Amino acid sequence: MSTLDLIGVSKSFGRTEVLKTIDISLASGEFLVLLGASGCGKSTIMNIIAGLLSPTSGEIRIDGKRINEVHPKNRDIAMVFQSYALYPNLTVERNIGFGLEMRGVPKTERQAAVLKVARILKIDGMLGRKPAELSGGQRQRVAIGRALVREPKIFLFDEPLSNLDAKLRMEMRAELKRLHRLLGTTVVYVTHDQIEAMTLATRIAVMRDGRIDQIGTPEEIYDRPATAFVAEFVGAPPMNMINAILDANGLRLEESGQRVALTIGADAPREVILGLRPEDLHLADASEEHAIAATVDFAEPTGPTLIVFARHGGNPLVASLPPHLQIAPDSQIRLTFSRKNMHIFDRASGNRIQT
Amino acid sequence: MNAGWTATRAWLLMLPLLIVMLSVIGWPFFDTVRLSFTDARLVGTGGDFVGFANYERLFSSRAFRRAFLVTTQFAVVSVLVEVVLGVLVALLLYQNFRGRNVLRALLILPWALPTVVNALLWRLIYNPEYGALNALLVQIGLLDAYRSWLGDPNSALVALIVADAWKNFPLVALISLAALHAVPHDIKAAAIVDGAGALARFRFVILPYLAGPLMVALVLRTIEAFKVFDIIWIMTRGGPANSTRTLSILVYQEAFSFQRAGSGASLALIVTLAITVLAVVYVALIRKSAGAQF
Repeated sequence: MSTLDLIGVSKSFGRTEVLKTIDISLASGEFLVLLGASGCGKSTIMNIIAGLLSPTSGEIRIDGKRINEVHPKNRDIAMVFQSYALYPNLTVERNIGFGLEMRGVPKTERQAAVLKVARILKIDGMLGRKPAELSGGQRQRVAIGRALVREPKIFLFDEPLSNLDAKLRMEMRAELKRLHRLLGTTVVYVTHDQIEAMTLATRIAVMRDGRIDQIGTPEEIYDRPATAFVAEFVGAPPMNMINAILDANGLRLEESGQRVALTIGADAPREVILGLRPEDLHLADASEEHAIAATVDFAEPTGPTLIVFARHGGNPLVASLPPHLQIAPDSQIRLTFSRKNMHIFDRASGNRIQT
Repeated sequence: MNAGWTATRAWLLMLPLLIVMLSVIGWPFFDTVRLSFTDARLVGTGGDFVGFANYERLFSSRAFRRAFLVTTQFAVVSVLVEVVLGVLVALLLYQNFRGRNVLRALLILPWALPTVVNALLWRLIYNPEYGALNALLVQIGLLDAYRSWLGDPNSALVALIVADAWKNFPLVALISLAALHAVPHDIKAAAIVDGAGALARFRFVILPYLAGPLMVALVLRTIEAFKVFDIIWIMTRGGPANSTRTLSILVYQEAFSFQRAGSGASLALIVTLAITVLAVVYVALIRKSAGAQF
């Protein structure tokens, strides 16, 4: 169990700046998920923590000690890769025990440790097999086993579930959560899958263009996204973003001119984005005053909800409504929402405006 | 379209190639087999059937045993040097450094040169009067006086092996370099994080990916080295004192210098048989290493 700090870490390849002043401070036993689209720099952070890349500037500390100059093998970090990165010519047993073997752990001790981990991961029946003889899920377990067996200070997971099918991914997600609860080791986990991030993390760092847009608990990220990017990135279907003007009397939707009275206002009219999550939209009664009129494109029944795709003028609008509603394409609907569920962002900077 | 016509068409399409193959390889091969059982001379008589006499004489001759030994020495040592040097150079050129691409292009040069040019260059280098090797060794004090590298039975074969290895290691290096690029980055990173040093990484991560392609290079090079003729013929003609006379040189001398076509044919067949055995063993090894991988 260890703390991990990244202080002002940046990284450039030639003239391309891939990380811009990253600050992360993890308490012992935290599960941090780096969430972002591909190319946002999240894997670069992983490689810097592992020591496979050196930062252009800034400091990395484990348990308060600077480790910038420490060789990867001496950092006491274990890493799990998206491609599993198993040694193809070694058996499962030797794959798992490889790190111990390289550290000169005696054979009997090694075998006992490997067996213990294999039992936890339920792969103790296949220790004699080669990676080629395993399924994707089994390979992933071996890769995780190889990390577990070393009992490292910190685990790094680089998109470990991306190559698995949906069902297996859900199982392994639950498994990882169970393992984290069991071991309590500090984890840094990279993914572009927001469901993985929401379900696994104690904290999420949403990244964009080499920066952290927001770092916080899954609830904070979901309920109070700090930027329009975070708001759109987290949540499925994504948050509706409606152009509006904020003035002294509240909000005016640009498409329809419709007004929403607010307690806050702006002295000079200000261009903003009104963000509304699909599940915060409801069908309005005829009596409802503050409702957005929309034309239905089509509806998708998903089982627990009915996802309605509609348009408010030129603005696409998605609403997650109760199932079994009869909503025909091209029909007119009115959608209402509670004021507390509104998210307002400055249109130029994308930053959240406190409501 | 029925299956019968598909098969007939396939044979028809292959027919021109089959005719060419049979006439330039098949017929000469069978005629060589026939010749090997006769005492035919290169010119003049068609020869009489002598049974296994040619083979018996060969197996009991010292010249054959000596040539077989020289050929084996040449093949084993030169291929070994080529593989070790080739892999080392590939590992070097795999590193990221300025000028790497220029060096990679230059690497091909020795291999791309015609053997004749290579052999003549090395004869210049080994020249006993103005050769670069003598000049270098004398100037740095390793040698007292110029010596004849190719004229001394003790050094001629080694000198030839050096020349041949210099020409052929780039092939091994190129094949290895391509194989190195196929090693997944993640596995290398995993090994570093797992604490594997450079040697352990080579053994457990690089070598498994290198083994297959390297085996192919090994097969090609051994077979070529076993039937070597050109570089030796140009540099030493099998001398001095037959110290560099390989089987191919012996075949040439037997069939053309001494005009004993029958005896030359039997010798050529023995070389062919030896190479075939090598090839079969190697192909089996390749299959095994390919099957064992991944």
